[in-house]
Amino acid sequence: MASAAGARHAPDGPRTLWAWSAAAATAKYAFLGFWGLLCLLPMILVVSLALKDPLLDTGNPFQLFSSIRLENFSDAWTLGNFARYFLNTVVIMVPTVLGVIALSTMAGYALARFEFPGRGVVFYLFILGLMVPFFSLMIPLYYNLRDYGLLNTPWAVILPSIAGAGGVGIPLGVFLMRAFFLDMPEELADAARIDGASEWQVFRRIMLPLAAPGASALAILTFLSAWNTFLLPLLYLAGEQNRTLATGLLLFTGGRTRELELTAAGTLIMIAPVVLFFILFQRQFIRGLTAGAVKG
Amino acid sequence: MTVAAREVGAKSGLARLLRLPRTRRSGRRQHASGWLIALFVLPALALYILFMVWPFFGTVYYSLTSWDGFAPTKDFIGLNNYQVLLADPDFWEALSHNLIWAVVGTAAPIVIGLPLAIILWSGTRFRLVFRSLYFVPVILPVVVIGIIWGWIYNPLFGVLNTLLETVGLESWTRGWLGIPDTALLAVLATAVWATFGLVVVFFLAGLQGIDLNLIDAARVDGANAWQRTRHIILPGIAPIFTFVLTITLVGAFSVFDIIYVLTRGGPGTSTEVLAGYAYKMAFSRNYAGYGSAISMVIAILSLTFAVVLLRYRERRRADG
Repeated sequence: MASAAGARHAPDGPRTLWAWSAAAATAKYAFLGFWGLLCLLPMILVVSLALKDPLLDTGNPFQLFSSIRLENFSDAWTLGNFARYFLNTVVIMVPTVLGVIALSTMAGYALARFEFPGRGVVFYLFILGLMVPFFSLMIPLYYNLRDYGLLNTPWAVILPSIAGAGGVGIPLGVFLMRAFFLDMPEELADAARIDGASEWQVFRRIMLPLAAPGASALAILTFLSAWNTFLLPLLYLAGEQNRTLATGLLLFTGGRTRELELTAAGTLIMIAPVVLFFILFQRQFIRGLTAGAVKG
Repeated sequence: MTVAAREVGAKSGLARLLRLPRTRRSGRRQHASGWLIALFVLPALALYILFMVWPFFGTVYYSLTSWDGFAPTKDFIGLNNYQVLLADPDFWEALSHNLIWAVVGTAAPIVIGLPLAIILWSGTRFRLVFRSLYFVPVILPVVVIGIIWGWIYNPLFGVLNTLLETVGLESWTRGWLGIPDTALLAVLATAVWATFGLVVVFFLAGLQGIDLNLIDAARVDGANAWQRTRHIILPGIAPIFTFVLTITLVGAFSVFDIIYVLTRGGPGTSTEVLAGYAYKMAFSRNYAGYGSAISMVIAILSLTFAVVLLRYRERRRADG
């Protein structure tokens, strides 16, 4: 598992296996550093722009840190309507994460631990959802949502997101949670059954607490996907009052040079929670992401 | 897995394809009450069918009609949309952009990401710092990526043009996203920037499975770095390699958002792809039927590539 990477090779891991000469070491760090800088510099550019004072600074807007104006953030928050966009995004993200976790955990548990007719069919139906691209259902989904009366309400994004149309949803959730429950020891559950626990109690009291690491990895993936989702609100959630951070920021795309500093401040408002989450939960995040790939 | 379920699984093609997981630890499942199972499975299944499966069948159906999105009836016209599609030069141009995307967008992140992953795995200072840095673009929202790269490619003040002028390549400066010749490559470069970190993380995860003793033994036997890479590391990460290939190749047929954000398919049709064409047809021009036919092409291409690559992976696993 990726998160264990560091610990496993120390202290005499492959470091000793590759005999780098001084020149090779320089080339190595130049290569690593080049791509690192390429990832870092655009972020520095955004921070610099977000701090720019448009009145003092009328030259090249991409000159780094030529002026500092912290009010840009409050301007974006209030004048730029980002408070509204932020709230709308939270309103969509929270039910999506809760829904994916609850439904995937239960369905994944049933598929891993219960015997019932049609189990294989149900599992493969979910797996198919991992492979079907969103575009092959985007058009009818629009008219379905309209007929259900959900179009241009947050549910038009929440429900398809939970179902998996946004990438991370029930299909991936069921796949991950099922694999997680399959790997759990049966002995604990047996002990509880001998003590008279029902199957529901076995799930609720024994298995669910043990599933917390898997569920949290899934929660982080879902959070990121729901926070960043752009196509679903673009298609199914029209109107200024409904805009999310993603569709709100879309107004500023295309490299237009007006109000650069507000755009940059809004950008930082959008990515702040994501970056914070990533810093806090990097391990779980990468574990969730690579679990499916390694297990297959 | 019970014997009965495995037998059923062995017979179905899909099961062969995905390989039913063989006996796991206990291999024993509980017979719970039907109500409990329904309570566990049905909510997820219902949402999934309502918002994924049903609209998918809707696409199949729409694609056989001339529906405009408004008319009360959907007139069945058979395969007519598909015939029109085959003669539509815009469709072929969009498809060609997807193919370019598939080749470059798959090869470039691997060419960049694989060496980075091997170097990080083989031991280096600040490996977690580098891994985190490479992953930053992966977690960014695509709209943010579009905004930032819009600035970088900006024809007037753009960072890229400034950089080129600084190193004396004024003649190379241009409005990267505004010129048909460079727009697709500029968008692709942005996409590669946004994905290579993911490839690094996947390869790193795959590399953890390689037996270090094997590499030590090879070294003792005099194998050089290239030989060790070629004969131990690459075979060791073959399953992950196929996985990365699958997600990037399959993803190339449904690429949309980064293009929409950066160029909206323009200038002209120079960055238009299948998904963008389907979007335009269905939602700007109200050809719901024709747009659905394009959507079907995306589905068929994605599923075909996914199935072929997964089978290949299974065959390799069976051989190994």
